[in-house]
Amino acid sequence: MARTPSTGNAHLGASSQSAAPSRHRSSARVIHDLMPYLAILPTLVTFLVLLGYPVALLFATSLQKFGIYELINHVTTWIGLQNYYEVLFQSPQGLPDFATVLFRTVAFMLVNVVLTIVGGTLIALLLERLNKWVRLILTSSMVLAWAMPAVTGAVLFQWLFDSKLGVVNWAISSLGIFGNYLNHDWFTTGFTTFGIVTLLIVWQAIPFIAFSLYAGILSIPKELPEAARVDGASEGQIFRHITLPALGPLLMMLVFLSVIWDFKVFTQVYAMAQGGPDEQTITLSVYSYIVGISEGKFGYAAAASVVMLLLLLIVLVPYIRRMIKSLEGL
Amino acid sequence: MSRRRSRVVINGIGLLAAFFFAFPVYWMVNTAFKSPDQFQTYVPVFIPIPTLDNFTKALNQPHFFDFLRNSLFVSISTVLLALVVGFLAAVTLARVKFRGRRSFLLLVAVAQMAPFEALLIPMFLAIKDWGYNWVPTLIIVYFIFTLPFTIWSLRGFVAGIPVDLEEAAMVDGASRFGAFVRVTLPLLAPGLVATSIFCFITAWNEFLYAYTFMSETQNYTLPVWLVSFRTFLGTDWGATMAASTLFTLPVLIFFLVAQRRMVGGLTTGAVRG
Repeated sequence: MARTPSTGNAHLGASSQSAAPSRHRSSARVIHDLMPYLAILPTLVTFLVLLGYPVALLFATSLQKFGIYELINHVTTWIGLQNYYEVLFQSPQGLPDFATVLFRTVAFMLVNVVLTIVGGTLIALLLERLNKWVRLILTSSMVLAWAMPAVTGAVLFQWLFDSKLGVVNWAISSLGIFGNYLNHDWFTTGFTTFGIVTLLIVWQAIPFIAFSLYAGILSIPKELPEAARVDGASEGQIFRHITLPALGPLLMMLVFLSVIWDFKVFTQVYAMAQGGPDEQTITLSVYSYIVGISEGKFGYAAAASVVMLLLLLIVLVPYIRRMIKSLEGL
Repeated sequence: MSRRRSRVVINGIGLLAAFFFAFPVYWMVNTAFKSPDQFQTYVPVFIPIPTLDNFTKALNQPHFFDFLRNSLFVSISTVLLALVVGFLAAVTLARVKFRGRRSFLLLVAVAQMAPFEALLIPMFLAIKDWGYNWVPTLIIVYFIFTLPFTIWSLRGFVAGIPVDLEEAAMVDGASRFGAFVRVTLPLLAPGLVATSIFCFITAWNEFLYAYTFMSETQNYTLPVWLVSFRTFLGTDWGATMAASTLFTLPVLIFFLVAQRRMVGGLTTGAVRG
């Protein structure tokens, strides 16, 4: 059985058939063994160089005095941990304390995650109980919200909540329960601005969570809840003792993902109010953008980004662990 | 009787939820088709007498076709680059046993979780000398963003096709490469389409990096334009919503095509719009 390198169908282990491998064959063998590495080489270069370099540069920059002057003149001044000290204890003028920003970001993230997960779970349970047509209508509507690009969502919600001509103010006023909201400006306080950003984020995030959980619910054998129902279990008991445990791992994954997404979210927050009013909606990612790009304090912003990265890492460690475990099977 | 009533109640709640999700989108499209006297009213018009004026106005904005061209160029190039590089890695991961495979998988998984919002500053410093205000820079950035997901997603699709099929073709005399091209590749088409769509949408929607890296107006992509739209047009909500509708339309169509495949793929990949 003569194999030539050109056929390229050499299999691992097949070489035992050839009693005396010629030099020609062994070089084919080397190429064959190298193939997987050649195939992953572009990816390796991308990750280790194109992604690795910015990561290394982030840490390096965070240890340097790096402003517009250094940027233009290409000077490098190492200052150790001074940027971190300044990030933690002396915020630039006109910007809120880092502690305030951090607290705000975490609170904002928690509210978003809780609303998204609870809302997504409720919708998933609802989907299971709807008749065919209503389910089709609801899933189609959710695809619309899910597909909405973040920037469009931000612009659209500004229009919905516009003080003079917005449909929401008209609707609230027409209901009459909450009084007159015509000309009410939602974007004058940080709290209500955050409220609208949260509504936008939750509106866009629930579909994905609900679809994932609904797929999870469908994979639970029908016999389990039916048997429990026959035995007289209530819907609440079925949810607590059958549905929830079965969805556990998936639900954990979705919580992790939501935490990561909502902790670092930039576009919706920034496009809605650019951190305003009065810097009250500056979250961590908006903060490092404003300090770094707008004000040119690159070293300082890098230190803030490192802090953000480390905080994310704390959340990510159990996620990565789970990931490694799931890799075993691949 | 009470069971029937509870069914009605549940379906009613379902319709309310549908209203909550669909209404903002409806309102965007509805406003886009209104003449100024229909959207500049305190009492909103729910079914407008449609006009295309807003779309004409949006399309006639200076540089609109530059933005469209930039967005298409960047998004399509990102897809092609990520698909070629990612496909090689994905097939290798799914089909070949090699030393270091496990570590490579882990590297992909970690790269996928890289928070790009935290890398803005070093990315900016890394490109400022050669790639600032240069549209192709965005292709490189988005390629790095989308590659991990591409590999992850395609690996799953390739692994889902039984290797027996290829082996059967090889027994019939096909080469290993020939078997892959003729047997596996056609079966992979839906996976390739879904993955491409996902990459396209990511690049098409991206705002932060485009906003930071492109300084001259003619180099903007559509999302940057959309956010700065209000400074161009003030409070012309009709034109703004027409522009939003135009920008969202391709994404919507793609989502409807690929939605089913994306739910499964996304749970393993840390991505959301």
